[in-house]
Amino acid sequence: MTEVIIVVVVLVLATIAGIVMKSRSGRVHQRLADIADQSIFSVLPDAQVDPTARVTAIQFSSAFCQPCRATRVILDDVAQMVDGFAHVDIDAESHLEQIRTLDIRKTPTVIFVDAGGMEFARASGQPRKADVIATVADHL
Amino acid sequence: MIDARGPRFGAAISTVVLAGAIVLIDTPVGMGILVWQTIVFALGALVGLRAQPYGILYRRMVQPRLRGPVVVESAAPPRFAQAVGLGFTATGLFLVIVGAPFAASMVLACAFAAAFLNAAFNFCLGCEMYLSVARVRAGIGARR
Repeated sequence: MTEVIIVVVVLVLATIAGIVMKSRSGRVHQRLADIADQSIFSVLPDAQVDPTARVTAIQFSSAFCQPCRATRVILDDVAQMVDGFAHVDIDAESHLEQIRTLDIRKTPTVIFVDAGGMEFARASGQPRKADVIATVADHL
Repeated sequence: MIDARGPRFGAAISTVVLAGAIVLIDTPVGMGILVWQTIVFALGALVGLRAQPYGILYRRMVQPRLRGPVVVESAAPPRFAQAVGLGFTATGLFLVIVGAPFAASMVLACAFAAAFLNAAFNFCLGCEMYLSVARVRAGIGARR
């Protein structure tokens, strides 16, 4: 009987945890704790940025990460649709110091910056295309 | 690259099997179920996903009946998940053999939770852990 209780309790807790994680994952949001006092371009000097872009999305990916591939496709699509928007893909594992500086916990993480490289939003986990478009449009 | 729906199907079966192993932990049937699931994970982790019984079932019986686009992913994260599952079930099996069934059911509850999250929410454990491990390694490296 104890074992049945274990299964039920774990099921309930895991379901709650799953729903919470799913609802937070990929949400495009502005961080309250603002460590964006320096341009992200100075944190990532080797990033191949488009200097004419008014909004840039900087995606941090890792190997063998299917949501990273999906996110890249989404950002590609939006870049096709929206003028003045560009995106860059950074390999997280070869930029571990920057990961710590930028407080990146998982991949994919997308950081949205303005023309000056100041972060105004980010998404942890694969974002929805509609949310990306809305965020970008607001800052163009 | 593999069909991403396959491992998720396998995780669903594993969820049910592990629940069965936990509920029947005190019985010979439960032990048999646990041995079976340990073998399943071992095949997936050590031999490869092609040898994983649930994956084989998926490719033979389920995939031909599915319609819609095939989402493709790398085989590495699911294989890593099999290895994690093997760690849990082998530990659980060991605890049952040495006469600690309650401890075994605790360990198997973790595997059950992981399989359930994978099946129900497509939770990418590899993505979550990968960077955390790398950050810790970098932190340790930086302190030297």
